[in-house]
Amino acid sequence: MSAVWRASRAAVRRRRLQTSVIAAVVLVSSTALVVALGLLDVASGPFDRLFGQVHGAHVVATFDATKVSGAELERTVKRPGVRAAAGPFSQAVIDMPESAASQMPGMAPGPLTVVGRPDPGGDVDRLDLFAGHWATGPGQIVLALPDAPGMGNGPHSPLGKRIRLSGQRPLTVVGLASSVSGTAQAWVSPQQITALHPTTYQMLYRFDRAATAREISEGLSAVSAGLPFGSLVAHQSYLTLKAQVAASPNAYVPFLLAFGILGLLVAVLIVGNVVSGAVVSGFRHIGVLKSLGFTPRQVVAVYLVMVCVPATAGALAGTALGGVLAPPLLHQVFQGAQLGTATVHPTISSWAYVTAALGMPLTVLLAALIPALRAHRLSAARAISAGSAPHGGRGPAVQRWLSGVRLPRPVTLGLGLPFARPGRALLTVASVVLGVATVTFATGLSATMVAYGRAEQDYGTAQSTVWRGQPRFDQTAPRHNDAATQNLLRSLPHVADVAAVGFINVRILGRSEGVAIEGVRGGRSALPDNLARGRWMSGPGEVVASGRFLAKQGLRLGDSFTLTGADGRQERVTLVGEILAGPEDWMRADWSTVTALAPEAQANQYWVHLTRGADFNAYKKAVQAADPGLYPTKNTMLNTDAVTVISSASALTLMLTLVAAMGVFNTVVLNTRERRRDLGMLKSIGMTPRQVTVMMVASMAGLGLVGGILGLPLGVAAYHVVIPITEHAAQLTFPARMLDVWHPGLMTLLVLAGVVIAALGAVLPARAAARQTIARVLHTE
Amino acid sequence: MTTEDISGTAPGPGPAAVHEQGVVRVSGLRKEYGDTVALNGVSLEIGAGEAVAVMGPSGCGKSTLLNMIAGLDRPSAGQVCVHGEDLGAMNETGLALFRRRRIGMIFQFFNLIDDLPTIDNVALAAQLTGTPTRQARRRALELLDELGIADRRNVYPAALSGGERQRAAVARALMNRPALLLADEPTGALDSHAGEQVMDLLIDLNELGQTLLLVTHDQTLATRCAGRLVLMADGRITGERALERSA
Repeated sequence: MSAVWRASRAAVRRRRLQTSVIAAVVLVSSTALVVALGLLDVASGPFDRLFGQVHGAHVVATFDATKVSGAELERTVKRPGVRAAAGPFSQAVIDMPESAASQMPGMAPGPLTVVGRPDPGGDVDRLDLFAGHWATGPGQIVLALPDAPGMGNGPHSPLGKRIRLSGQRPLTVVGLASSVSGTAQAWVSPQQITALHPTTYQMLYRFDRAATAREISEGLSAVSAGLPFGSLVAHQSYLTLKAQVAASPNAYVPFLLAFGILGLLVAVLIVGNVVSGAVVSGFRHIGVLKSLGFTPRQVVAVYLVMVCVPATAGALAGTALGGVLAPPLLHQVFQGAQLGTATVHPTISSWAYVTAALGMPLTVLLAALIPALRAHRLSAARAISAGSAPHGGRGPAVQRWLSGVRLPRPVTLGLGLPFARPGRALLTVASVVLGVATVTFATGLSATMVAYGRAEQDYGTAQSTVWRGQPRFDQTAPRHNDAATQNLLRSLPHVADVAAVGFINVRILGRSEGVAIEGVRGGRSALPDNLARGRWMSGPGEVVASGRFLAKQGLRLGDSFTLTGADGRQERVTLVGEILAGPEDWMRADWSTVTALAPEAQANQYWVHLTRGADFNAYKKAVQAADPGLYPTKNTMLNTDAVTVISSASALTLMLTLVAAMGVFNTVVLNTRERRRDLGMLKSIGMTPRQVTVMMVASMAGLGLVGGILGLPLGVAAYHVVIPITEHAAQLTFPARMLDVWHPGLMTLLVLAGVVIAALGAVLPARAAARQTIARVLHTE
Repeated sequence: MTTEDISGTAPGPGPAAVHEQGVVRVSGLRKEYGDTVALNGVSLEIGAGEAVAVMGPSGCGKSTLLNMIAGLDRPSAGQVCVHGEDLGAMNETGLALFRRRRIGMIFQFFNLIDDLPTIDNVALAAQLTGTPTRQARRRALELLDELGIADRRNVYPAALSGGERQRAAVARALMNRPALLLADEPTGALDSHAGEQVMDLLIDLNELGQTLLLVTHDQTLATRCAGRLVLMADGRITGERALERSA
């Protein structure tokens, strides 16, 4: 084996440039792979781990207490397929007063689902009581909040604060807990819940089989069988929670995987090209090895080890680099992601690193095996006498034809060069194809994401949001009331339009969790242009919401449902439009819908659309001069998700473009070496260095053009595959106008990208060839 | 430089004439490759229309001298002037243009491009100067005709005999009407019959006024084709004598 190792080491040293190309290509591909696998892992891993640790509820079921008894529900625990259960817990909905909510970060005024539970442990949904103690006595309440800094202690901690309810004794916050399953917004003792007039029971189930929605449905059918009709009023599957957690990262996974696959393919092509080039140019070397007594297998081993060394080094370095680059990206992607009220901490499992570190070299070895087997078959005598593999293909015929073409002779000579080695030319074209496909795919993706980013800016076209001052935050109260404020803001100079925006919390009849309505009054032109399907609300009783809302509530466009306000007012609304993206518990409605549910509702912010060229600072001064109780802020026109996708896509595109260019670089290096004698002769008859460069660049530019023409449809196809997957996974809906990104001018430029990639890869070795001293080459055979 | 005049040989052109019509003027030429000194203070002049053969053992520096005169390599010290042009003052592009205009080269192994038929191999030298293809091919055909291989114009190098390949290489070297024809072992890879043909060709060219510098191991080639013999050893010129061409 030592002889093989020595021969391989010598081969590596002799081909430093190509060894470096392999290492660089594998490095880039490994990095992309680690990032993509890391995202995949974090999107599912932490949920499964955390969910398993705390025995999360596969189903949180809510039963109508007037139709079913606690005893009947206790018996459902013994139903087939139920592995564990908790409950029945009495459940009530109280109205969180504004005065209390404003003192507690993370709490909103409005309906609050409270569950009577004796302790935070149990067989299902073990709560993380991270601050204070459990509610065991009367007047005590534990709030469901994320374990964020300052939540459990400090001046803003809810601990010790009181919630005053009308007709009830106040509840004191004695503890803070988080629930992976999001089973409640607060807990009290079973004795205390009776005083809150519970109307429903909560049951928490874990099933033997709960991997799919179908199995969840079967489990639910089993537990509800035999219970009075209509007693099960609501249920929530853990799969829905999981999908919500994964929604944000899932926007990144499809395109990152696409980049990973493209990188892998480019790496395979380049490695195949490098090894076949090494075999072709190393015929004599192979012959010498065989004549020295190397067996055919040992010769193959020499070539495989020669590739294995840089591939392993590249994979290890790429994996390490991925380990450095992935965490900030994951942090960005999973920022604020929560399982119920438990926070997700994105860490990549070791399998992602192991897969990249071992998988890449293995793939490279497989790519090298095919050309290396050619060395296995080659007879020693033929190899030694041939020196290098004879040229094949249609080279002479093409050169003959090109010599008559009215182009400068170095150009026509260059264009004919690839035909002498059609196999190598095909591999080079393939790397350019993938390079152009990558650029095309990324360009389309970026165009869509830019359009999405523009439409998804929280404040649409409004350059400024003006907030009403809140004395409880040590701000000045505004002198003008809500309607007068809107009129005042509209009357100031350089204002195009003003929308008044306010929020109320409501419940969908039959569902336990609350939803927020964003009411908009006037100022339509200040709203974001983010309608994906349907139409905007045009009057009372109409709402629009995101795909996530639709998925969570199981609604479709055109569906009608009843909303219940804090004081029991009800309003039937129809879903008339779907917006690109938004929270799963949020709707937008006309102001008339808001006042129908909460007549006293007031706008707390105003979205101001300034005229073109208006100065925000001047406007801010004018607002504060008109009413010191109004606080204008400048809106950032930035969508972080879109920026992350675009920046990471751009970085990966740049990397893969460089990798594709490396493939061309490698081909030109091989061609230059093989053509040393021809180059020398051409120089001897007066070919200038510039003409040599032109010839070598032209030899690749032709391939680049072919690669561009073939790569363009591939990139467009990749776009059309990945975008729907992204939409589905991230629960987004892109309207047709955002997918209309392919225009003739852009497509022409993308085809020319192939020429640019080829020229980029060719220019350095071409210039090196132009400077090469050729005196010695000409005198030897 | 040590120059050994060998008496009893046919007189070549006188020194004064060489100086007056000098095509090549090399003085104090030195070339080092690392620690190896390939040329060590070589001076040489070649007059217009002269045929000079350089002989010496392997590694004596004769091919290096040829490369310096062709502008294919740069000296470590000394000066090379060809047709009044100082090669040391030229950049790479200037040297390429110089070779295009002034130099024709013939190699032992022909150095034809395998992918091009004979006529296009020959025409290439003119095409690089921007000569239109049709005109370049016409001139190439004339040369091939003069060299007796016009009927092989569409044949690829692999199908030519050694002699035919070297004739094609000579035609390519003559394409731009060079001031100086450099030949490095032009018969080294040929059988005796083909070698004879190439020798006759070189003599004919010289008799037509073509200045010729031959580098060879072959005494017969030198005595048949050259009017002056330069002997080299260890990077120096060790002797020089006029030759009377044998029949």
